[in-house]
Amino acid sequence: MWRKSKPYLLLLPAAATIILLFFGGIFDGLLKSFGYFPAIGETELNLAAYDRLLHSASFWESMELTLRVAALSSFLSAVIGALIAVALFFLNESMKTNSPKAWHRLFQLPLTIPHLVAGYIVVLLFTQSGFVSRVLAAFGWIDNITEFPVLVNDPFGWGIILTYAWKEAPFVSLMLYPVLSRIHGSWREVSRVFGAGNWQFIREIVVPAIMPGWAIATFIVFVFTFSAFEVPYLLGVTYPSVLPVYSYQLYTSGTLSDRPEALAVNMILAAITILLGLVAYYFSKRWNVLKGWG
Amino acid sequence: MSDLRIIDIEKRYQAVQPKNDASFMLRPVRLSIREGEFFSLLGPSGCGKTTLLKLVAGLLQADGGEIWVGGENLTNVPPESRRFAMVFQQSLLFPHKTIEDNVAFGLKMQKVGKKQRLKAARDMLEQVGLAGFGNRFPDELSGGQQQRVALARALVANPRVLLMDEPFSALDPGLRKEMRELLSRIQKDFRVTVLFVTHDRDEAFALSDRIAVMGDGQLRQVGSARDLYERPETTAVASFLGLRNILSGVLKNSRFASSDGTIETDVTKQLTDGAYFMVIRPEAIKAAEGNQLGHVSVSGIVQELKYGRGMYSLKVNAGNQLLECVVTTTQAEKTAVGEPINLLVDMEEVWFLKE
Ligand SMILES: Nc1ncnc2c1ncn2[C@@H]1O[C@H](COP(=O)(O)OP(=O)(O)OP(=O)(O)O)[C@@H](O)[C@H]1O
Ligand SMILES: [Mg+2]
Repeated sequence: MWRKSKPYLLLLPAAATIILLFFGGIFDGLLKSFGYFPAIGETELNLAAYDRLLHSASFWESMELTLRVAALSSFLSAVIGALIAVALFFLNESMKTNSPKAWHRLFQLPLTIPHLVAGYIVVLLFTQSGFVSRVLAAFGWIDNITEFPVLVNDPFGWGIILTYAWKEAPFVSLMLYPVLSRIHGSWREVSRVFGAGNWQFIREIVVPAIMPGWAIATFIVFVFTFSAFEVPYLLGVTYPSVLPVYSYQLYTSGTLSDRPEALAVNMILAAITILLGLVAYYFSKRWNVLKGWG
Repeated sequence: MSDLRIIDIEKRYQAVQPKNDASFMLRPVRLSIREGEFFSLLGPSGCGKTTLLKLVAGLLQADGGEIWVGGENLTNVPPESRRFAMVFQQSLLFPHKTIEDNVAFGLKMQKVGKKQRLKAARDMLEQVGLAGFGNRFPDELSGGQQQRVALARALVANPRVLLMDEPFSALDPGLRKEMRELLSRIQKDFRVTVLFVTHDRDEAFALSDRIAVMGDGQLRQVGSARDLYERPETTAVASFLGLRNILSGVLKNSRFASSDGTIETDVTKQLTDGAYFMVIRPEAIKAAEGNQLGHVSVSGIVQELKYGRGMYSLKVNAGNQLLECVVTTTQAEKTAVGEPINLLVDMEEVWFLKE
């Protein structure tokens, strides 16, 4: 009995902490979003916060911005990431020296840098008074640094998108590269003997092989960028702001009555994330994403 | 007639490191393989079997020579248009396709309609004993089953030539035997021309109509299993085929004397005088005393006694020569390691070769 349960008992403190913090936090947030606030005498549960939120224009604008930023970031990361992975793959094929490794390391570099730092780098590089704009001005490509497009703290969210693309593209390529390298030369040979030309090989083998990994990587980027806080906080504008920032603004607005709304935003974020997760799970099952690759 | 003709195909690999000159070279190979024939390339590891097979498939660019099938010159035809098929050492099935789709792959590339190709795939799977496995994925099959699928995939498109590169060497011995029988049956049913690569002598012997023994990037000898085993042309072929009793010596006036003095005997075969190697198959030696017509007697000390499949194999130290022979269990029980033994060599079964 003791032998069997020992590992579980040893795990208990860690597991309990995680469960308490995670589910406790969610549960607490959920209660408060329903207006349960004993500190100010509110002990009744209602949906008032959600009602107000869903009828407020700023919430929907925030939602739109969040979706746009997340969609564009993940799309860009997916495309750039795939290009990097394919480039690295062919580099590895064609060269026998060590340079592919160096390139590999170079592309892994952004992975090691925290998001906040990445955000600052983008600020330093791409503000109107930033490095890129100054260089362009110095070379006479633009007459004045004010001609440089507003890429940071812009209402569209380019700064955020740029940061995410830079930061997540290597992540996507890191997910794809091992899959690509599993397409060994022998498969090319097999498919050629059985009559597949280059194009057929790509369509029949390469694309189906990398598609699932690619979709999953892109999805992870989407979910992350959808719910991440620090980069939009640093690089966004005050209004409209992405949902996590919007929630933070509400929570710290100084009005206690805004707090249920702030937490309701969080709950909606969490619900959407879970929903997306379920959708992804469903499709990964249906497409046999991991079939045979195990 | 669509025989496969390999005419002076040759290949030299670029040295991987320019400084290292030990690059491999396949000397010009000339072979003609009849339609429907089962032909094996047999040779030790690294002798160039895979290289030759890939040259035939078109997966490697030859430095010279031509490949013909029937009246068609395929030398400059890319592999995808040759209508060949190949089975490799690993099954190399596509993991994201079902077994059925894997088998139907070649037909799909030939633009055969979906219904038709899946039906053909199912029929072929039945042929290899995998009916009902069509909807699984490759990782849900055992290694042997995967290799059957690879065989089905290769045969379904009715290839002109089936190339096989050590297809069973990753399987356990029992399974290997089973697969050999399956392949043999299917090859006869479909009358497909097979070019089969192996380093396993038993496998080549069990399957092939003819065998080419290779060594160091060249063909050493081509012939039926029996030709090769009973009449090897060089000591290299003989020893690769497991013939260890090779005695060098001189033949003069119809009398052969081995240079180490182990054997001296009359030879009835019509041979010119000169230096020869005498090759004695283990089966040509028996443990017996006295004189027998057409036999020469040798005596020695038993050095090793090993049991294998109903017979004992014996190593006998005769003079300076180690002789291998096989004896029945009863005979083996009469002797032991370190004891003297008398052997009779059947001169009818002995082979003389000149190098
Ligand atoms: N791409 C290559 N570049 C340079 N040398 C090569 C290349 N491929 C094979 N070789 C060399 O050519 C020789 C023959 O290789 P090959 O694969 O044809 O041998 P094999 O007879 O099939 O051996 P095995 O039974 O081990 O498969 C080997 O010495 C190998 O090192
Ligand atoms: Mg080989």
